[in-house]
Parts: sequence; structure tokens; C-alpha cells
Amino acid sequence: MPGFLSPLIEPGFFSNLPVQTALVVGGVVAVVSGIVGTFTVMRGQSFAGHSLADIGTAGGSAAFVLGISPLFGFVAMNLMAAGVMEWIGIRRPRGRDLATGIVLGAALGLAALFLYLDTTASSTTGATVNVLFGSIFTLPASMVPFIAIFSVVAAAIVLVMYRPLVLTSISADLAIAQGIRVRLVGIGYLVALALAVSLSAVTIGAILSTALLIGPAATALRITNRTGRAAAIAAGIGVVATWLGVLLAYDSYYWFPNGGGWPVSFFVVTLIFLVYLLSQLRFRGRSAAQRRSTAAQAR
Amino acid sequence: MAAGLALIAVVSACGATSSQPVKDTIAVVAAENQYGDVAAQIGGKDVSVTSVESNPNTDPHTYEVSPSIAQQVGAALVVIQNGVGYDNYLTRILSASSNPSRRVLNVQHLLGLPDSTPNPHLWYDPTTMPKVANALAADYAALKPVDASYFTANASRFIASLNPWLQALSSFKSRYAGTPVATTEPVADYMLQAAGADNLTPFKFQADIMNGVDPAPQDVSLETSLFTQHKVKVLVYNQQVTDTLTQTFISAAQSAKIPVIGVYETMPTPGYNYQSWMLAEVTSLQKAVADGISTQHL
Repeated sequence: MPGFLSPLIEPGFFSNLPVQTALVVGGVVAVVSGIVGTFTVMRGQSFAGHSLADIGTAGGSAAFVLGISPLFGFVAMNLMAAGVMEWIGIRRPRGRDLATGIVLGAALGLAALFLYLDTTASSTTGATVNVLFGSIFTLPASMVPFIAIFSVVAAAIVLVMYRPLVLTSISADLAIAQGIRVRLVGIGYLVALALAVSLSAVTIGAILSTALLIGPAATALRITNRTGRAAAIAAGIGVVATWLGVLLAYDSYYWFPNGGGWPVSFFVVTLIFLVYLLSQLRFRGRSAAQRRSTAAQAR
Repeated sequence: MAAGLALIAVVSACGATSSQPVKDTIAVVAAENQYGDVAAQIGGKDVSVTSVESNPNTDPHTYEVSPSIAQQVGAALVVIQNGVGYDNYLTRILSASSNPSRRVLNVQHLLGLPDSTPNPHLWYDPTTMPKVANALAADYAALKPVDASYFTANASRFIASLNPWLQALSSFKSRYAGTPVATTEPVADYMLQAAGADNLTPFKFQADIMNGVDPAPQDVSLETSLFTQHKVKVLVYNQQVTDTLTQTFISAAQSAKIPVIGVYETMPTPGYNYQSWMLAEVTSLQKAVADGISTQHL
């Protein structure tokens, strides 16, 4: 490590095993969230993305009851919820928020039940904090392969149907006119979304994973209106925010009030928010132009 | 003998004229079943004890109250709680249902400990239960003066029955004082102290696991190094609170051939009373250090 970095990085940062796992997992998850999130913002489905993440709490807390890794609970629950949301009408812009809201309510009810069972019937003190706010430093190294597999699947879905996905995200009518099977593309996208929010739930927590999904993508779409470039920028912002968040959490070991460090998720989410605010200031004029051009494209 | 009978007669006569003495059994509610067990041993035939927390598979720190518990506490004449924030729910129920003749034995207050006491697992301290036993005998005697000497005798018998445990502790201390150990939570820390063991896990880390917050990565890798670098002779973990993180440490200890012992927050049932439970845990520690034998379940 170069000497000038030593005041910024507490000793032992790179040799620390939990940190190494956090950097690898956090980086991979940020890339997937950035790519999928770009389409979430373009499709105007931020609420669905946020809701899927919240819905995942039911799966994560159920996993504690069953004694399996919360990741599997998040993935199973989010895939199921995505299926139900698609079935009861996420395609229609009008009924979409309603369908999402109803599934969200039911799932949070389940989460209340499972978290109660976690604390009363099984021995899992940290379940609530773990599910809601993530536990990136306590991820067992044995979970890394599963995280990698889910990440590859989510990214592959987006890449395989990249062109139809861009088209349906800009204008469903245009896509139908071109003979694209809009519903199939929508289902594929929902699967990728379900995987992405499950992955970020493991790193920064279920209720915060929406920040990693929407924040970098929204910022990127202010900077550029080209989808591919936006996805790349979003992934980059996510990775930098996650890595800096991990570093700050590590450095905060001796901070106020009693040492022991501040949570990673706080730093990651705050950094993403700050980057978004900066982009608001810098690209304010541009975004109006972008909105006009998107509207023109849609027509 | 005759004098003794006369004394009891006088005492019961006094009792009859003051605030109603208990005719039959005294209803006792204990927050944790280890206190409930001692309450039953001291009260014997005169008490019926309900313990709120007796499921060894749950974490007492996060216990949530059911309405039936509130009802039992409302009807109880003696309530025992640990204090130090360990069973705050009971304090809330007590203030919700006032009963002037009810006696509340708060072990933290009995021992004169401040609220800021970092480790709430007071029953693992060998000096705690003798005081609890005497305080219980006094509370029972006030409620049922006719059996005062019965309660005192029970308390003395209970305190004497702690001897095998105390002897095991002192024999461990004389042979293995300074033995380095690792822990996941401060559950048995008072006992490890009494046994002269050297707990190398930072208290902050133990408190993080106890409170269900994620420990700092620095602490996680320090704890891991205790096993990978063979700095400790045994891992003492909380049998009632295990998650992926504590499982990781158990596996790390096992692959380093370091024996692992599980300790309990509440008394394991059936088959144990307080004395035999405490003795069993010291025996586990002794077997781990002397023979390298793991004891994960009692």
C-alpha cells in the first residue's frame, strides 16, 4: 500500500478476510444492481423494485426459521413475488402500483410472523438487523459461489434480451409494433430484478437494497441517455460507493460513540445519495433536454 | 422442641392478625427458569413456580411476552427477575399490574449492581445464588411466617449443595488457571472468571453477538485468528444463540482441533437443576482443557 494512503486506510484493511469477502461480493452485487436498476428506472418501475426488496424480508426471515442462508430465502421469496406481481398485472401502468402494493402488504405480514418466530421459537438474535440492514462482514465465504451464480444469471438475462428490453423499456407500443413479445421480456426482466434485489439485500439489507438498485441508475441516466453507457456508469457508481462504504466502515472502528464501527449499509446508501445530489446540480439543464429526447423517442 | 413449637405458634398468631398470610401455596413467577428452579428448591411444598423462559432453543434477550404470562405475573406473590435489562418486559408487566402484597426480587438490586453492568448473566457468578436463596427464604417467610424455619433450612441445604460445583471450579483453577479461551457471547464469563480462565475474545465482540448487531471486521478476524493460530485451548459458545457467524467460528475451532463447548443461557430441561447444570458446565470445561473433548449439548 502506498504510504500516502495510510491515513485514509486503517492498517490490515486488505489482509482482513471479512473485508476481502465484502469487497468481492459487494462489487459483484453493485454491478448487477447497476445494470438491472438502469432498466428499472427507464421502465418507471422503481416502486416495484423497492417493493420486491421489502417483500424479500419475508423470505430472509423465513430462512432464519428454517436455518438456511438468508440469500436463498430472499431469492425464493422475490421470484415468487415477481411471479405474482406479473400475474396480477404489473404490465398495466394503471393497476401496477396497486398490484405491487397488495403483494407488498401480504409479504410484510409474513415477515412480521417469521421475525416473531425467529426471536421466540429459534435461536437467532440478529435476524431482524441482518434481514433489514444486511451483514456483509459476516457473510460466510461459502456463500460467495452462490452469489456469483445468481449474479451471472441476472446479468445474462439482461444481456441476452438486451435489445428487446431496451425497446420495451422505452416504449411498449413501439416494441409490440416491431413484433417483440413484450410480456416475455417483462417476465425475464422481473426475474433479473428479483435476483438483483435479493443479492443487494444480502450486502446492504432488504429495506436498503432499493438504494443500490435505483440510486446509481438514476444518477447515470442523468449523465447519459444511452442505455448501455448508463448501465456501465450505474455499475461503476455502485461499485465505488460499496467499496468506499466498506472502507469507511472499517475505518470507523475507533469512531464515536464507543468504537466498533458504523454499519456498512449506512455509508453505502449515504454515498449513493450524495452522488445523486451532485448529479442533480451538475446535470440539471441536461436532464430537461434528456427528458424531451426520451419523450420524442417514445413517440 | 416445645419452645420451637411455641415460637411457631406465636409467629403464626401474629401473622393471622396482620396483612393476610398465605394459607396454601405461594404463587411464584421467575423470569428465567434457573431462578425458578432455585425458587422451587427454597419454597418446596409451599410454592408453585412458573418460569417465563424455559425453552432452551430461544434467546432470552429477545423474548416477547404473551398475555398468559402477564396474567400469571398479576396473580403472583413473589416475582424474581434478573435485571440489568435482561428481562425488562417483566418490569413493564409489574408496573402495569400493581399488587401491594407482591414481593419482587430483582437480582441486580440484590447484588447492588448498577444498570450499566456490562454482563447481565449474573447467575453464572458463584456468589449470586446463595444470596438469592437467602433473600427468597426471607420473602417466603414474610408471606407465610408459619414455615419460616422450613424456608431457612431449605436455603441452607441449597447453599451446601453448591459445593461440588464450587470445588470443581477451584480444582480447575488450581490446575489450569490462565488457560486461554475464546467465547462468542459473555454468557458464562462470570464462571470462566471464577475458574481462572483467560478469555481472549474482546468484550465488545461478545456484546455485539449478544445484542444481535454485526461485529466489526477487525473483531471478526481477531476472533478467527484465535483458532487458526491456536491461541486458545477451547471455544465456549452460547448454545442457545447460533447463527451463520457463530457457526463459522465453531467450524474454525473444529478444523483447528480446538475443543468446543456449548453453554446455556437458561437451564437446560429436563434432567438438570441449577446445581447440576452449573457442575455439568464446569465438567465440560475441564474435559475440554484436560482431554480435548468437545461437549456441545448437555
